[in-house]
Amino acid sequence: MVVRIGLLTEGGYPYVSGDARLWCDRLVRGLGQHEFDIYALSRSERQEDEGWIQLPPQVSRVRTAPLWTVEDDGVVYGRRARRRFADAYGELAAAVCEGPGAPDGSALGGGAGAHDDPATSAGVEADRFGSALYALAELARDEGGLAGALRSEGAVRALERACRAPGALRTARTARVPDLLAFASHVERALRPLSLDWYEGDGLDSVDLCHATAGGTAALPGLLARHFAGVPLLVTEYGVQLRAHYLASATVGESPAVRALLAGFHGRLAAEVYRAAALITPGNTHARRWQERCGADRAKLRTVYPGMEASRFADVGESAEGSGCADPDTLVWVGRIEPAKDLISLLHSFAEIRKEEPKTRLRIVGAPADGPEGTTYLAHCRALAAQLFPDEAEGVHAVGDNPVSFEEIGGPEVPSLAEAYASGAVVVLSSVVEGFPISLVEAMFCGRATVSTDVGAVVEVIGGTGLVVPPRNPRALAEACVTLLRDPERRERLGAAARARALELFTVEQNVAAFHGIYLEIVSHSPVRRVVVDEEGEPLPFGVPAEAHVPGRWTEVRPMAVGRPRWAAGAPVRATVPVPAGEGAR
Amino acid sequence: MSETTGPRAPGGPHTLHDLDDLDDLAGLGGGGLDSEDAGDSGDASGRDAGGASDREAGDASGGAVGGAGRIGESAGRDGGGAGERKRKGGASSSEGSASRTDGARRPTARRGAADPVKALMHRHRELCERAVDPLEIAAGLEAHGVTDRTATRFRHRDVFSLAEEMYARASRDGEHTPRPEEPERSGARADWAVLALLPGVLCLAATLGLRVTEGRPRLAVAAAGVLAVTLGLRYALRRGPLSAGQRTTGATRGWMCWLVAYALLGDGLLSAALDGGPDGPWPLATAPVLALSTACAPAAWCAQLFVVSARRRLTASRGLDEFATTVRPLLLGVFALFLCTLGGLLALSATVLDEPPAYTGAGALGALLLLARLLTARGFTHAPAVMLAGAGATEAIALATVFAGRLPGCSFLATPVETVVEAWGPGAVPALVCGTAAFVLLVHSTRTLTRASAHALPIEAV
Repeated sequence: MVVRIGLLTEGGYPYVSGDARLWCDRLVRGLGQHEFDIYALSRSERQEDEGWIQLPPQVSRVRTAPLWTVEDDGVVYGRRARRRFADAYGELAAAVCEGPGAPDGSALGGGAGAHDDPATSAGVEADRFGSALYALAELARDEGGLAGALRSEGAVRALERACRAPGALRTARTARVPDLLAFASHVERALRPLSLDWYEGDGLDSVDLCHATAGGTAALPGLLARHFAGVPLLVTEYGVQLRAHYLASATVGESPAVRALLAGFHGRLAAEVYRAAALITPGNTHARRWQERCGADRAKLRTVYPGMEASRFADVGESAEGSGCADPDTLVWVGRIEPAKDLISLLHSFAEIRKEEPKTRLRIVGAPADGPEGTTYLAHCRALAAQLFPDEAEGVHAVGDNPVSFEEIGGPEVPSLAEAYASGAVVVLSSVVEGFPISLVEAMFCGRATVSTDVGAVVEVIGGTGLVVPPRNPRALAEACVTLLRDPERRERLGAAARARALELFTVEQNVAAFHGIYLEIVSHSPVRRVVVDEEGEPLPFGVPAEAHVPGRWTEVRPMAVGRPRWAAGAPVRATVPVPAGEGAR
Repeated sequence: MSETTGPRAPGGPHTLHDLDDLDDLAGLGGGGLDSEDAGDSGDASGRDAGGASDREAGDASGGAVGGAGRIGESAGRDGGGAGERKRKGGASSSEGSASRTDGARRPTARRGAADPVKALMHRHRELCERAVDPLEIAAGLEAHGVTDRTATRFRHRDVFSLAEEMYARASRDGEHTPRPEEPERSGARADWAVLALLPGVLCLAATLGLRVTEGRPRLAVAAAGVLAVTLGLRYALRRGPLSAGQRTTGATRGWMCWLVAYALLGDGLLSAALDGGPDGPWPLATAPVLALSTACAPAAWCAQLFVVSARRRLTASRGLDEFATTVRPLLLGVFALFLCTLGGLLALSATVLDEPPAYTGAGALGALLLLARLLTARGFTHAPAVMLAGAGATEAIALATVFAGRLPGCSFLATPVETVVEAWGPGAVPALVCGTAAFVLLVHSTRTLTRASAHALPIEAV
């Protein structure tokens, strides 16, 4: 069967400079049997000018909308529309301003969420926010011109009322007029997807499933498609949007009131997205914890690890299994050089290691991070390395060099990333801050024994196939490295286990296969009910077979063969090329 | 490290980039970090290595996300945890640093502070003060490498509950935090203030040209003058507080030209028409047009005064109603200031050109044009367009009725205009029409321009 997927991105996929475009590209290319419609929101003019990456044929259409232009379609609301807007916006503002513990009995009937689990944590609040959001979306669909209204005096007045209402957040009560204006314009930007014409007439209403590649604004079109057309929504978050918002808000010079209101808005939006989503796929446990914290139902969460290209490490990884041909006295560190990687600590621990194993060398492979900070840090590390370790030579007549070398990929010593990992016996990760440690996964693909610090998703990734030490503890790092350097057998064992684990969990194929399964699961559990119409636009009687409307959970109770819906009539399609039976049996 | 962290913690400047600072300091201090850890965390790392080997037991079950690994890790945790806590404790206790200077490195002595969360809060003081909710602290802590496993050292299940405690304990005095300064738009060129003089200068030149020429050259001068003034006006109003961007439509622009043309030609034509003419060219009223074009400059300056003062009141006011009540007198004052200046300019140009000053007609037109432009510049395009079109059409109809009155049987059509002109002179028609329109717009702008949303700064695309 062919599933038509609406891929929703924000500042992402088809754009050359988009976030997570590599992952999306692999997903779309990996699922050639399905059809993808891409709905992209662009973040800046520069991004739009840079153009798209090349799209595979399974992408049947791309629709884009800018989030950065100041648009005004000149629609002026009449009295009734104004009142509708004021009501909806007032509800939205009240939901945002509401303090954490404020009980509110006036929960509006969340018509859309009737079949969802009502016992989510922030149920009433999310409901209130959600219904206000959908009311605004309906208004935008019926009347247009939401952008102007969101900037109007009516909106600011509604905000002021909500901020001054009893039970509002303490910080929100301190909001002054400029704060209200700033927040109103932020909301206007965030809610721009509401004014788009994507939801009707062969747009998002015609897809089988919306896949939002991030939470927040990117998922908004998915929320509306679900509200208007009942299209199920899948949300994938490799980094939680709300958390990114908090981190970004630290650098923006807004007043506390605006930040409190924005935090409330994005928090409610995240909760509503999680509530409405059919399934949520965090990229790691860390994202999963945040999602649970923000009100995501555990039953909807499926961790799907990001996939990485394993083939370029295949040679190195396979040869590592046979014999430990790598230099047995070399430690390798690979990554982007920046303060969060704590190379200082690594150099100190290397000094410890050399007390025990004087022949050891350390190769630091990587380019400095963008910006002046990375360059200064690299210079700093070089200086420290020169200070700690004098150059040494074979004999009195040879030219010496430093046991610590700083190299970049593509240099004469390290032509490729795989070679970099291959050149060492142990791969070290010394970060103090880490999200999903890509270099660690690459080291695992290469079948290397690793010593890493216990940060971010490291423990989750390594899962017992390498050594883990506390961060900022050079002594412990040194001890662990020395242990491995002295024990080639254990190194080999760990490397093989790491490679096996990585091949099982972190390949592109597993990622693509997981999403394939999730797509089919969502489509089978919540198929879109559409009225089939004939040429004149009249509903076609018996356009949908009766069994499609069988009440109850027939997909779970009966085996699929009995109650299989119409679109599932064909043979199941595999993600990979099916192996002929004879060959498989051999 | 022992020299840096100890004394720094109580009084030193702490930033969010604490960790980076520590890195830097550790690096600059040569082996400082190294020597401390070598001294006091020997047993910790020993235990940790044990933990690490425990974890390795999970090797065989590659797929299971390290169940064994986690257990082993928690066993190893104590060692590392103690080390970390010791460092934290040392950060706030003078006892800790003292014991280190003696060289008596007893691990228990460095445990020091009974309240590790307090030390953590001190380290992330700025984050705690700034945070608007616990999740912001959680995000900030995680960005500094605090994980759930670190949180267990503070007797918390995860970072979120740790952040909640920190949020609850932090003293947040919203009033004390300095409000971010309004971004000064420095470097905004003020050349518009000088450019606003351009139409006046051009009009003066054209008027003088008309004075000194006769016959066909005079026509050429008139055409060139009209063109030059129009272009100069457009150029002068492209920037500055009166710039309306793309909001003015062609029709509105046409009505504005018609109104100014009426000020130039209308009164003469009307009197001639009422006297049965016009026979040949009728006199031009150049004085009001000269005054109006010169008034561009004071109009722009007044508008700037209004915008700047309104924005200052905006930042100072707590509520929308408060803002409206403070801005309304400001608007009226600025409007009155402009009217006085325009009156002065009218008198001056009348004296210079030796023509009768048309105070009411030109004054009302000037007021109408200023208000229309102010409203359009702040995004209210509808009312100005309607009022300008209404005023222009009324003037046109007034002229047309006089001519239509000459048709047989239609003399009643000219009666209203004739009555008005007989009573107050031909200047009364534009004065009445433009005055009414200006009054309506003034009432409208006291309602719209006093809204806070009219003074919002547009957010530039990030």
